[in-house]
Amino acid sequence: MKNRIFSILCQNIPGVMMRITRDFTRRQINLDSITVGVEPSGLARIILMFRADDHMAEFMQKVLTRLEPIIKVDVIDPEEGVVRVVALIKTKKLAGDEHWKVVEKIERAGGKIVDSSGGAILAELSGDNEEVENIINALGREIVTEVARSGRVYISKKIG
Amino acid sequence: MVEMNGSKALFEALNAEGVKHIFGIPGGSVIPIYDALFDEKKIVHILTRHEQGAAHAADGYARASGKPGVCLTTSGPGATNLTTGILNAYMDNSPVVAISGQVTSSAIGTDAFQEADMLSLMLPITKHNFIIHKVKDLPAIVKTAFDVATAGRPGPVHIDIPKNTQNEKADLKIPATVKHEKVLKMQPTPGEIGRAIEMLAHARQPVIYAGGGVVWSNASPELVALAEMVQTPVVTSLLGKGVIPEDHPLALGMLGMHGRMVANLAVTECDLLFAVGVRFSDRATGDIRHFAPKAKIIHIDIDPVEIGKTIRVDHQIVADAKLALKGIIAGLKSHVQRGRTSEWVKRAEKLRKELAPRTDYDEVPTKPQRAIKEIMSVLSGDAIITTEVGQCQMWAAHFCEIKNPRHFISSGGLGTMGFGFPAAMGAKVACPKNPVINIAGDGSFLMNSQELATVVENEINVVSCILNNRYLGMVKQWQDLFYQKRRSGVGLGKVPDFVKLAEAYGAWGGRASKPSEIAPKLKEALASGKPAVLDIPIDPDENVLPMVPAGGRLDEPILT
Ligand SMILES: Cc1ncc(C[n+]2csc(CCOP(=O)(O)OP(=O)(O)O)c2C)c(N)n1
Ligand SMILES: [Mg+2]
Repeated sequence: MKNRIFSILCQNIPGVMMRITRDFTRRQINLDSITVGVEPSGLARIILMFRADDHMAEFMQKVLTRLEPIIKVDVIDPEEGVVRVVALIKTKKLAGDEHWKVVEKIERAGGKIVDSSGGAILAELSGDNEEVENIINALGREIVTEVARSGRVYISKKIG
Repeated sequence: MVEMNGSKALFEALNAEGVKHIFGIPGGSVIPIYDALFDEKKIVHILTRHEQGAAHAADGYARASGKPGVCLTTSGPGATNLTTGILNAYMDNSPVVAISGQVTSSAIGTDAFQEADMLSLMLPITKHNFIIHKVKDLPAIVKTAFDVATAGRPGPVHIDIPKNTQNEKADLKIPATVKHEKVLKMQPTPGEIGRAIEMLAHARQPVIYAGGGVVWSNASPELVALAEMVQTPVVTSLLGKGVIPEDHPLALGMLGMHGRMVANLAVTECDLLFAVGVRFSDRATGDIRHFAPKAKIIHIDIDPVEIGKTIRVDHQIVADAKLALKGIIAGLKSHVQRGRTSEWVKRAEKLRKELAPRTDYDEVPTKPQRAIKEIMSVLSGDAIITTEVGQCQMWAAHFCEIKNPRHFISSGGLGTMGFGFPAAMGAKVACPKNPVINIAGDGSFLMNSQELATVVENEINVVSCILNNRYLGMVKQWQDLFYQKRRSGVGLGKVPDFVKLAEAYGAWGGRASKPSEIAPKLKEALASGKPAVLDIPIDPDENVLPMVPAGGRLDEPILT
């Protein structure tokens, strides 16, 4: 079982997500991440992440491609593009030294402080999933009280 | 552009598709459509007595004619009653266009009277489904629905039409074509064809395995031509019955759980399995690890999903079966044709004779094998056989010698009891000149026997031959073979009297109590000028044998 990323180009109409997700549910595959956006063409782009062996991944690609509203399913090799997740985190109320230590840790990891007016720090992190996970772990569960995380977004490096 | 309401536009669109018949039942949420039907001149509506009957009839119509079958219902229970029939059509790739009324758009989601979330319910059991909230979208959606139902691998499409759309007026025009974003690969590539030819040329013991895809692509002539050119025996799936005349010297019959022994042995021994328009169903393959163990496999299918789904394939051709077979035939002509050692064909022919199942039983009550033989003795190649599900179906599959595609109509993927009778009705409406015979079990027949009213009222003269064992026989067979004869929940008792049941509806009813009565009675039924039910009491203890147990090996059947 490996991590898989599909980039799906489809019509932007109600019900497409349901058509897609049921095909996974029925085969007992858990979707780890779903992101949807609208392309400049007006078509929708869905990025899915899940775990499956080679046979199942190839099968699912064909199953999804067969759906009427789906135009194309690309299997993404993360190496050929950029995959990111964005996370917003909130810390507990911090004061003095502790506050500045956390700010420094976040900034050193490439995060951005969004707000700290109420005493708690709200910060924005981005990177591949592991990077984001590592920063949160490094700060520790006793400091970070809330995490809101996006699904994977992806863009290929191919030109044209 | 002409101003009209959605209901009128629906009929304009159906006429543009060449629809001649609709099977359906009205109700509160579809009255505007039935109101437009009142003025409709060209399309005949056949009022069934249950929506499941309408769905199966549309399915049978499609399978017999190759053209889409259409059914129409109201919202809520009318629409949900379609679901078994629609899934049945989906599993067997039948182009059914099902249309249902729906509560008014603004009421959807409020649990309004007779509201059912049909978009969600139909979604997993159709090739695609629609809801039309705005009348301006109706013409293009109906056109698209027919395109989707028939393009590539066929399948059912459902259209949900809220009442406001049925009533809403607009300036509308039915489009001659609609644009599709999806591109289907129909044509095989020269590389795909070339490799298949190489493999065929090198095979010493090839077998062709043909299925419903050959029927839907009308590729039967090409299939037979190829088999003859390369002198290769042909086995079929249940849905492939008739793609090669079953009395053809190269035809070995159906394979699988209840297939012909010779077909199962040929597949087990072959060194090349040339599979076309099949999906390697578990009922056909048995234990996949021992399926065609010595063979390289070529798989031709229009749907890439089917290729490699459950079985390893050595060469794939994603293409329409007819185009692929044509390409291979054309290539073979220019290819140096090696004289194939006809030892293999001779052996197949010999085995076919040796392993031919017995039918010459004289016992009373009649043995089902003999019953089918007697039924077939009355019919010629133009007869369309439909079946119910269970032992009756497998006896029909095993013993009916079918000569033409679209002449054996059976519920394969879903195994739906109650399919055969309404499907026969649909087939007869599509092909009024052909005799249509439903080979039924007593249990299955009762699941849609209310359609006797429909066939009588509409003079749809089909004959149901009931192989009456007073049991849910196939379940009983499994209990006898695999559950120490603990017969649980399978006895059907003594009622009804099927002759009286038929007569109560004004149909012809008759009974053949011994083998010699079957043919004369069936002739009488066919000549009666009425729909008919022929009750044939059969030996209740007879099992369908040989049988490959579920997941067993094709070459290791249970014989007794
Ligand atoms: C709608 C439906 N319900 C249940 C079954 C399970 N089932 C398969 S065969 C069978 C018995 C069919 O009985 P009958 O029509 O009398 O045919 P027989 O096997 O006796 O020839 C049953 C209950 C089914 N296939 N379809
Ligand atoms: Mg029975």
